[in-house]
Amino acid sequence: MTKIIIAIVFFITSLVSAQGQFEQGMGKAFQLWGEGKNTEASALFERIAAAEKTSWLPNYYVALVNTTTAFGTKDKEQINLLLTKAQNALDVELIKAPNNPELLVMQAMIHTAWIAYDPMTNGQKLSGTVMGLYAKAEAIAPENPRVVFGKAEFEIGGAKFWGKDTKPMCVQIEKAIGLFATFKPETAFSPKWGLERAEAALKNCK
Amino acid sequence: MKTFLSIALFFCSIISFSQTTISGKIVDEKNKPVPNANIYIDGTYDGATSDDKGDFSFITTAVGNQNLVISALSFETKSLPIVVENFKNQTLQLKPSSTQLNEVLITAGTMESGGKSRVSVLKPLDILTTAGNPGDIVSAFKTLPGTQVVGESGKLFVRGGEANETQTFVDGIRVAQPYLQTANNVPTRSTFSAMLFKGTTFSTGGYSAEYGEALSSVLLMNTIDEPDLEKTDVGVMSVGASLGNTQKWKNNSLSVNTSYINLQPYQTLLPDNIEWIKPYESFGGETVFRQKLDRGLLKFYASYTAANFDLKQDDVNYPDKLRTQNKNNNLYSNLSYKGGFGDNWNIFAGISFAKSRNSGIFDVYNYDASENASHLKLKLIKPISDKIKTSFGVDYFYTNFSELVTNFKSGYNSNILAAYSETDFFIASNLVAKVGFRFSKNYLLNENSIAPRLALAYKVAKNQQFSMAYGTFEQAPKNDYLKYSTNLKAEKAQHYILNYEFNKDKQVFKAEIYYKSYDNLVKYDTKSPVYSSNFSNNGTGYAKGLELYWRDNKNIKNLEYWISYSYIDTERNYANFPNQATPSFVADHTASLVTKYWIQDWRSQIGATYTFSSGRPYNNPNETVFMDGKTKTYNNLSVNWAYLISPQKILFFSVTNVAGIKNVYGYNYANTPNSAGIYESQAIVPTADRFFFVGFFWTISKDKKTNQLENL
Repeated sequence: MTKIIIAIVFFITSLVSAQGQFEQGMGKAFQLWGEGKNTEASALFERIAAAEKTSWLPNYYVALVNTTTAFGTKDKEQINLLLTKAQNALDVELIKAPNNPELLVMQAMIHTAWIAYDPMTNGQKLSGTVMGLYAKAEAIAPENPRVVFGKAEFEIGGAKFWGKDTKPMCVQIEKAIGLFATFKPETAFSPKWGLERAEAALKNCK
Repeated sequence: MKTFLSIALFFCSIISFSQTTISGKIVDEKNKPVPNANIYIDGTYDGATSDDKGDFSFITTAVGNQNLVISALSFETKSLPIVVENFKNQTLQLKPSSTQLNEVLITAGTMESGGKSRVSVLKPLDILTTAGNPGDIVSAFKTLPGTQVVGESGKLFVRGGEANETQTFVDGIRVAQPYLQTANNVPTRSTFSAMLFKGTTFSTGGYSAEYGEALSSVLLMNTIDEPDLEKTDVGVMSVGASLGNTQKWKNNSLSVNTSYINLQPYQTLLPDNIEWIKPYESFGGETVFRQKLDRGLLKFYASYTAANFDLKQDDVNYPDKLRTQNKNNNLYSNLSYKGGFGDNWNIFAGISFAKSRNSGIFDVYNYDASENASHLKLKLIKPISDKIKTSFGVDYFYTNFSELVTNFKSGYNSNILAAYSETDFFIASNLVAKVGFRFSKNYLLNENSIAPRLALAYKVAKNQQFSMAYGTFEQAPKNDYLKYSTNLKAEKAQHYILNYEFNKDKQVFKAEIYYKSYDNLVKYDTKSPVYSSNFSNNGTGYAKGLELYWRDNKNIKNLEYWISYSYIDTERNYANFPNQATPSFVADHTASLVTKYWIQDWRSQIGATYTFSSGRPYNNPNETVFMDGKTKTYNNLSVNWAYLISPQKILFFSVTNVAGIKNVYGYNYANTPNSAGIYESQAIVPTADRFFFVGFFWTISKDKKTNQLENL
């Protein structure tokens, strides 16, 4: 009996310590990212992704870190490499969960980065796909602030191009800001970013 | 019991506290340090990022046999079995990832559009935003080096070869009749609309053993694998209307595209120099169905066009205008499957069926010609190792041609079986060789042959490479000859190509020199090929030239442009030539400048294409030397304007030959001299000096973003 109890205790401890390791690792990666060490952060997320095959979060962050890095990079070749890396990481998770709205938003962001990379070629090719992704995400999670904000932000780009009124999108951004306040991430490491960007975008509206 | 517990705890703490330091250095193939590589023990969190010197070091609690993973941008991820305790200060070499810009590719003779190639010389958009001949998928390729301006034909003439020496393939399967039927000296168009295609490769020589029955060139067009979204396209044009629709389901999708063209209103408004009894009218459609399968993709493509016209043209040999009445219909369909199976094998299988019929009246003769053609193809690809990739396959071509001209019947049945094999050797990361051969058995001509192919590419620097190609190419003689005589052999050509390519940041430069020799060209001894002609394979010829291409989307904001230049020196002794001479479709110098300028404030793309070619030879029977005449130079400036009214509505204008320059393609001479003993001549000129086109294109889709700019 005691043996069994010990075995169970032992098993639970090891589980807990593993759990602790995940939290520690993710925490450390976020810390690196916060310090602007994007390569190290991406590398750590990648390691965690390799160890924790059941969580979609590490790969999601590999994609997010590399995509946001690409947005701030000038070297075309480097952008290409970063976005390819982001896409590869995202692909791993999108196959497992094709209807996860956060992953769909991430895919839309990668495509948006490709459009910024070469608007003449990719604008025509990917705009429709991006809108399709947001439409799908919106149908699944209409209250997700990143879905609402991402869609509105992308639409603003189009409206500016066409010299059209951006008011309806600004209303959506306001709605997104409201949703950020009430949005409850599923876990401590689930995506919760976007409020600052939405606030900045709203400022541009006025 | 207590003892057990303490032992267990002790053991446990040993495990968690036994730490080993792993260290080493990451380098590339040239032993230069690789910074920012991610090195870790698979399945653990233990790892590090390499520093600027490529050095790394980290502490791990893992023990024994583990896998060390090294991943870095632009390198292949490496997985290495290690024994943790023994791993110290090792230098690890990474291989550049082959999907990157540093990949060495055989590009001699090839020009790609769209697709995944890094050296796209044309983007999918270019196919139709190139001012000149709006809507024709083939016309954009005529602005590339290696092609001739043959305005009276509208077909692709490549490197001294006739139009029939270029074969067109859709999804890898041959298209027997890629062009629409027209009258003498009235330019034709291809039967394809750009809507359904994506990624086209145009090879002006030295192509793979996979493609046979082509003497000079192949045009490889691929249909879209997966459409982006469901939509309906509506187009209203000055010459007709078009309607398209795409539907998507979970694992399959269907696109249909139809068009109706009628030149009656245009001809009434702006008559050209042809007397139309019934202006050109056509109805056509294309469809693609795609089905995703477990490990592959099944596609069905079909196109159908029915057209008719009736006209009268001046002809120097006839006192009255010469009548051509034509009704034609052209059906082409193919079914193809590509996918993977077993251990890393790739398979491609396809079959096509084509049926075309041409009937009408020419002068006082009734004619009725029909062709049924089929192509079966099977191809297997297998990477033997990292360094060697091999592919092999078989082709079967069937053609049945018959023609009835006022009760005189001619025709033939042709069966050709071919097998080919090709192997890529990646000798080094900057050197690749492709070796192959094609065996062909033509049952009609009772002839077997083997054609070798060889190609090499050598990357001298990150953005620069040289490639070369050599090959023997064959093609059965064309319908015009085979219908009268099958006592012939296949025509042969040898290509030697040397190519240099520079590619950096939206700039592409290509330079190519080539030499071609022709053998077994068909000769005959009459004015035109007739049943009583004496046909032989005694014809020969050569072509050599230099071609340059420069594309720049970088240096001037909102402007894309490319420049092509071709120089060719070619002579042939073929057809009914009395001696070796430059054929009439060849100009020594050809140049094109294509520009596209985006004006954001107007939401407009303005395009202009300027084409120049030096004079073309023609034969003047009043002179003693054969083919001694030269036309004046050819100049054409065409412009277009695409205006985006709203995200889904586009207005499109284009004018071909804005300045109305009077171009002359050549001269026809009378068969017999007039009373003064002189052969009278007639200039071959464009049917109209200018051509105007106006179109309105509307896309209806759920996202309200997509438009047809891509298709204009």
